[in-house]
Amino acid sequence: MVLAQLGVIALAVGLWWYLSGVAPGSVPSPVRTFAELGALVGTGALWTAVAQTSAAWLIGIAVCTLVGIPAGLLIGASRIATDSTRLTIDFVRNIPPVALVPLGLLLWGPTRNMVLLLVISGTIWPIVIQSIYASRQAEPQLRDVARVFHLGRRWWLTHIFLPGVTPFVMTGLRVAATICLLLTITGELFGGAPGVGTQIQNAQIGNDNPQMYAYVVVAALLGLLVNSLIWIAQRRLLRWHPSFRKGS
Amino acid sequence: MRTARRWLYSSAIELWLPVLLLAAWWFASQDSLSPYFPSLRYILDSFRQDWLGANAIRNLRPSLTVLAAGFGLAVVAGVAVGAVLGLSRRTERATRPLLELVRAVPGVALLPVFIALIGIGTDMKILLVASGAVWPVLLNTTDGVRSTEPLLIDMAVSYGMGRWRRLRSIILPAAAPQIFAGARTALAISVIIMVVSETVGSQGGIGYFLLAAQRSFQITDMWGTIIALGVLGYLLNVLFRLTEAIVLRWHRLYQARLSAPRR
Amino acid sequence: MTQVDQRIAAPALEAAALGHHYGEHHVLKDISFEVGTGEFVCIVGPSGVGKTTLLRCLSGLQDPSVGSVRFRGAQVAGPPRELALVFQDYSRSLLPWASVLDNVSLPLRAGGMRKRAAGEAARAALGEVGLGGADPSAYPWQLSGGMQQRVAIARALAYQPSIVLMDEPFASVDAQTRADLEDLVRRLQVDLGLTVLLVTHDIDEAVYLADRIVALAGSPAGVAEVVTVGLGPERDQLDTKLLPRFAELRAHVYRLIRGARTSGPVTTEE
Ligand SMILES: Nc1ncnc2c1ncn2[C@@H]1O[C@H](COP(=O)(O)OP(=O)(O)OP(=O)(O)O)[C@@H](O)[C@H]1O
Ligand SMILES: [Mg+2]
Repeated sequence: MVLAQLGVIALAVGLWWYLSGVAPGSVPSPVRTFAELGALVGTGALWTAVAQTSAAWLIGIAVCTLVGIPAGLLIGASRIATDSTRLTIDFVRNIPPVALVPLGLLLWGPTRNMVLLLVISGTIWPIVIQSIYASRQAEPQLRDVARVFHLGRRWWLTHIFLPGVTPFVMTGLRVAATICLLLTITGELFGGAPGVGTQIQNAQIGNDNPQMYAYVVVAALLGLLVNSLIWIAQRRLLRWHPSFRKGS
Repeated sequence: MRTARRWLYSSAIELWLPVLLLAAWWFASQDSLSPYFPSLRYILDSFRQDWLGANAIRNLRPSLTVLAAGFGLAVVAGVAVGAVLGLSRRTERATRPLLELVRAVPGVALLPVFIALIGIGTDMKILLVASGAVWPVLLNTTDGVRSTEPLLIDMAVSYGMGRWRRLRSIILPAAAPQIFAGARTALAISVIIMVVSETVGSQGGIGYFLLAAQRSFQITDMWGTIIALGVLGYLLNVLFRLTEAIVLRWHRLYQARLSAPRR
Repeated sequence: MTQVDQRIAAPALEAAALGHHYGEHHVLKDISFEVGTGEFVCIVGPSGVGKTTLLRCLSGLQDPSVGSVRFRGAQVAGPPRELALVFQDYSRSLLPWASVLDNVSLPLRAGGMRKRAAGEAARAALGEVGLGGADPSAYPWQLSGGMQQRVAIARALAYQPSIVLMDEPFASVDAQTRADLEDLVRRLQVDLGLTVLLVTHDIDEAVYLADRIVALAGSPAGVAEVVTVGLGPERDQLDTKLLPRFAELRAHVYRLIRGARTSGPVTTEE
């Protein structure tokens, strides 16, 4: 299997190579791209960009998690709160977050704050919505179990409610983490805030194709990192969940 | 009488917050002198001028073309490739590392690459949207196809259904709920990439308008465009949900039945 | 007689003119019966008749619309501490994220017992239900259906109740497991001197297990009759079921349930 997987990757690289032969002006060869990447690794520019992008991503996802999960769970716990907020949330979350970039630019210019406005306004909704849903889905029979066996509020919260909502919340977090990175890069590329996105943009403006491709590879690696982080978190927290059960 | 009262109550409870927020915005911004937060009344005026009636069609057409074609392409390609991967475990496992790598590229990051490769034009934008939005559809289709109840497939085989028939009548319908879930994420991503792609080169389109308004300090127009984007996003979502409600009627009823208190 | 004496003399659980409706839908009407201390009582009735509703009212999980429930002479408002409930569907009442041991010991730890002691008590209860050899760190869903139901019973036992209520506890296990579990519950009831109130739609099961049977029928459901079984304390899956008395009781209860169903207004199916 590993051989087949390597084969597929080799095939893809081969295709890339072929394309670079056909259109050498716009596609640099893999060798040149990775040589460029190797050269960049030695410079501070790459690491500064990566650090800036990662920091924005981290702050964004952290704020959304800390605010979104409790807010969603609380809203979902009350019927009236769910009904009252439904229309508002439905409208606000459908505003494409990029709409706020110009506002952010006006207020703060091309800075981290602008990126965070964009990132948070787009990332928080999947988390809030999944948390509301999670709260509503809580197994009614487990509520009865808690009452019959006189589990106090604290025990109910930590041993029944929170483990029960985790799978739904994790689904929201998984979507949110990807969107968060997409929006971070968007904010940099579209709004000009420092980070990997801006480096891609600058390379394109400077017509430096190998460098542009090298930075796109960096963005992909960041994406890969985010996906694996989420996957590890899910594995740890949801060992018991049907989608992670082994051979049962 | 009773149902009328209940209906009134449920509308009241859903509406009070949006109404309150709008009223708060209206009155708070009424005499606003801040250049960044103009009065809601002017914003609405500008919204009406640019985004309702005849202007709307002219301003929106390029955006909607890119969105519809890009999203449509993403769904078709995602379902096709996803089904293939879902049906063949071998292919799926062989291509997984490559797919993980490719899908990890944040869609927007490819904009400069696409410009370099294809040039600035509608085709480029459609492809960019499709290439960013295809992943959630593809992955969900693979997942949905793979987790089709094996019993159903056995049943189909025992009734002598061919491959194609099985795919059409059993596997895709069974995977449809998951495909729709992926398509919903894809739609949100499509809108983002569409707006970003329109900020380069082109004349017209909602993204172009947004950036132009901001660059030329037409703050009221910018707010009007933000509202237009909100309305567009909302309407797209309504449209999506309607489609889903029709196509997945059985699933909605089935879920309601499953989650009804069983005691 | 003193107050204390009266309470000892009072039946373990008592329903007085109990009725319940969900909105316009009347499910239970005028239900009165009692469960004596140390007695094994079965409630039988067809599917959808309102057995679970009745059990929820009796356990204090739900207030009846009319009438009242008394536990040892005191009005029930909320589940009494000395009562444990085994739910209809084990797959939904065991915590899938907690190990078998944690599932059983959770109520004890929530009640203030130390982790060590609660673990010991849980192990003892697991031994009691025949799971002494099973891996206590396994998740419940890794066990067979019958074993999962044993875990649910162990959870109830570890809680040290004086009365156990069970809602169709064996509805989703195979026939052989079912017979084993029936004997297990019967043995535990005798050995531990428990009061047991078990709900089932299976007439054979009710006759086999119970000292007395409360037959529910009609819509809204009422008590058709309270049948005294009188098969003695020793029961055996083969011999008891071959007794003429067993067949007689089975036919009698069958007629009670069926008769009221066909002559009364059409009952609501699920
Ligand atoms: N929460 C509820 N809200 C409204 N109606 C309910 C509710 N719970 C039960 N019912 C209705 O009350 C009636 C009796 O239900 P109940 O669950 O008590 O029956 P049951 O005898 O336990 O059935 P089964 O043998 O299938 O478990 C049914 O018609 C059911 O639809
Ligand atoms: Mg029931």
